[in-house]
Amino acid sequence: MRDPDPRTLARAREGDIDAFEELVRLYQADVWRFAYHMTRDRALAEDVTQEAFLRAFRFVRGFRGDSRFSSWLFRIARNCAVDAIRARRLEEVRDPPERPLAAGAAEARAELHAALAAVSEEHREPFLLIEVFGLSYREAADVLGVRVGTVKSRMHRARAAMMRALAVEEDTGGP
Amino acid sequence: MDHRTAERLISERLDGERLSPRQAPALEGHLQTCASCRAFERWAYRLREEVRFEVAPAVPDLVEPIMASIAAEATRGRPRLRLGRTPRGPQPRRALLPRLAPALAGLLAGLVAGSLIVGGPWRDRSALAASDVAREVAAAAPAFEAYQARFAITEYHLSPEVPVRELSMNVWFAAPERFRLDVTDHTDYGSPATPTDLRLVVNGSAWYSSGPAACPSATCPHRETLVRNRAPFSEAAPVPTDIVLPLTTLGDDRGVQVLGAGTVLGRAAVRVELPFERAGPLFPFLELGGEWRPFFHNDRVRIWLDEASWFPLRWEVYPAGGHERDAWALRFGLPEEPSRRAVFTVDALSVELVPPAEGVFAVPETARAEDQGARPVSLAEVPHEVGFEPIAPRELGGLELYRVVVPAVEPAETLVTYAEGLAFLKVGETRSWSAAAPFGPVGLLAEEVRLPNGGLAYFEPATSELGRRLSIHAAGTDLYLESNLPREELLEVAASLPVTGLAMPEIWRVRRTPEGATSRATLEHAAEVLGVPIQLPRALPQGFALASVELVWVQDRVGATLHFHDTETALAAGPIRLHLEAADELPPAAAADQRSVEVRGAVGRYSPSTARLEWIEDGLYRSIDAPGLGLQELLELAASIPTASGGAAP
Repeated sequence: MRDPDPRTLARAREGDIDAFEELVRLYQADVWRFAYHMTRDRALAEDVTQEAFLRAFRFVRGFRGDSRFSSWLFRIARNCAVDAIRARRLEEVRDPPERPLAAGAAEARAELHAALAAVSEEHREPFLLIEVFGLSYREAADVLGVRVGTVKSRMHRARAAMMRALAVEEDTGGP
Repeated sequence: MDHRTAERLISERLDGERLSPRQAPALEGHLQTCASCRAFERWAYRLREEVRFEVAPAVPDLVEPIMASIAAEATRGRPRLRLGRTPRGPQPRRALLPRLAPALAGLLAGLVAGSLIVGGPWRDRSALAASDVAREVAAAAPAFEAYQARFAITEYHLSPEVPVRELSMNVWFAAPERFRLDVTDHTDYGSPATPTDLRLVVNGSAWYSSGPAACPSATCPHRETLVRNRAPFSEAAPVPTDIVLPLTTLGDDRGVQVLGAGTVLGRAAVRVELPFERAGPLFPFLELGGEWRPFFHNDRVRIWLDEASWFPLRWEVYPAGGHERDAWALRFGLPEEPSRRAVFTVDALSVELVPPAEGVFAVPETARAEDQGARPVSLAEVPHEVGFEPIAPRELGGLELYRVVVPAVEPAETLVTYAEGLAFLKVGETRSWSAAAPFGPVGLLAEEVRLPNGGLAYFEPATSELGRRLSIHAAGTDLYLESNLPREELLEVAASLPVTGLAMPEIWRVRRTPEGATSRATLEHAAEVLGVPIQLPRALPQGFALASVELVWVQDRVGATLHFHDTETALAAGPIRLHLEAADELPPAAAADQRSVEVRGAVGRYSPSTARLEWIEDGLYRSIDAPGLGLQELLELAASIPTASGGAAP
């Protein structure tokens, strides 16, 4: 994932709204996608994205650069998503999970979505961060607040679970 | 190599991890012969391609709404939170709530209205587990920068003459160590009496408290204490920040029950319950002076926590039922107290998350001042002051350098502290440690832990006074760390110190006593000395683990004591001890209030005052000491010890 221009980041830390907008443009799509995969709900993902950037704006002054900006932002987005999921659970209001249209070329995508949805939250998170967003183990560990070793083993389990969900275990006969 | 290991290594290699020179060829060798793992690898690559190209759904452009909400906030200034006394509908949770479906808004309005009608501001929802609450509170600590709040305190049954007292409390806090608490007593006593008016002010290195001394007569003398050159995060002159965020009280979820969630003063809140003995840090005013009613250790404390920032909005004490409490109440001359009626309540009237005015933390001058001797220095001055450059962790868990002091002790030591919001870390170091015990506030029976860097350290859980602690004895230096970071994070920080901790030297482990000696040992060595295998109880309370094993010699007899402790926080109960010693009969009773009970099929003895259970089995005297546990729990603990043959207890 891209890193922001350090000068933009420095200006954003000083409270420059235009600089912060550059950061929003750079990362809003990634944050929304991450939120979407966490919540499985487009509208909730929009709320989470807004909330994450609002929190990032409040706390960017305290960002010290000891992790990558993207990891820091994902950590915030993850917390917002967890809050949103919990609030949804607490309020007992559940939108039916969004199902992409399974037609023609979209079929493979639908299957992947279904497989991702079948993987537990604990395993989906590192899978998304590493596989979809290209974070390293260290960065994913930072975002999730767990140890690198935990990320490694969850990642392996996530892959195995995804393959099970996609029913690929039948294909073990070699190339 | 098995499939599982191979798949894990494939996964790591795919994610750009370097395999070791031993792992790489082993994996290749396995792949050559294993079709299943080859398929795993092939599919893992294909999955990556498909996921990276296919999972991305159409992304909405949110730049405009995001910037609009940011601009709105920037114009408003810092987020302010005000709570009104009058209950009202839930406040919008900024960006999230206004966008929720109208049906949800209707549902919420209905619930709030319903709760007002039935008189309770909560509704029973148990989606949150106690561990979630503990985790959320810990996670909120680093961001908790500033706070000011007003509370009403109502106390019942101070004495027959004073059935109800009304007090108010103001609290101000600015991270990391500026704090003030004022309690004003509004009670009309009807006769000469000293009101319980209290003040505590902490401003970094200065600590001040004032209030009436506890005394047997109606009017009591006023007492003032000032501490100068206070050490950062000093346990001797503490800052009672649990009132702001109950980090210590909820540092561990044992004994904590989530009762539900709802709204208090218009804020989404979560209600938790725990025994009074675990909730002490929420009642710091009881220690500051004046007269207060007594509380039974098992009285129930119910706390409403703000669901967004986790500060306590209301806490109440309900009497525990039962004969034991009735007998206790009689001793204090308390009237009958039904368990459904709160006997003590603290209610927030307003809370603002804004920095208090600087003048609030001005420490009054007094004639009598105590000097704690922690001399402030800059990090650059330290080598000149103590003759060595202190070692610093590379990983600081997100904390920043706060205060550096040189305590007035010999041999020279340094104390470097780090903080962020309410989270803190102290790192003490000395290069000339000569005592035969771990350096810092860590005991000889602390748990030996292997740090992620391979070194050894000795760990003690948090208490109501101290944070989690680690002592490290390394070549040429001794260090201790103390922090309110969770255990795992503290261990990571310790592992980033550029030293490798060593095992406790022999000279620390063996102690002479007037009757014989004690020696810290391994479980295996203790079993060898006793000549029997030692089995551990399987039903330890949640969070407990074996901390250390001690051999105890008294004249010509030898026994082994196993110490189990809570691995995060030990607020009420101390460690659990299991003692084993060759004997054919029980020793004379050590406590007056003992009775016979059946333990594992034999006649044993139970002493309630010391929470001790004793019995003889297979020629061994065994005792369990577990403060805080009742007879039933002690019996279950005893029953969970596997028999010598490995089966369950009879």
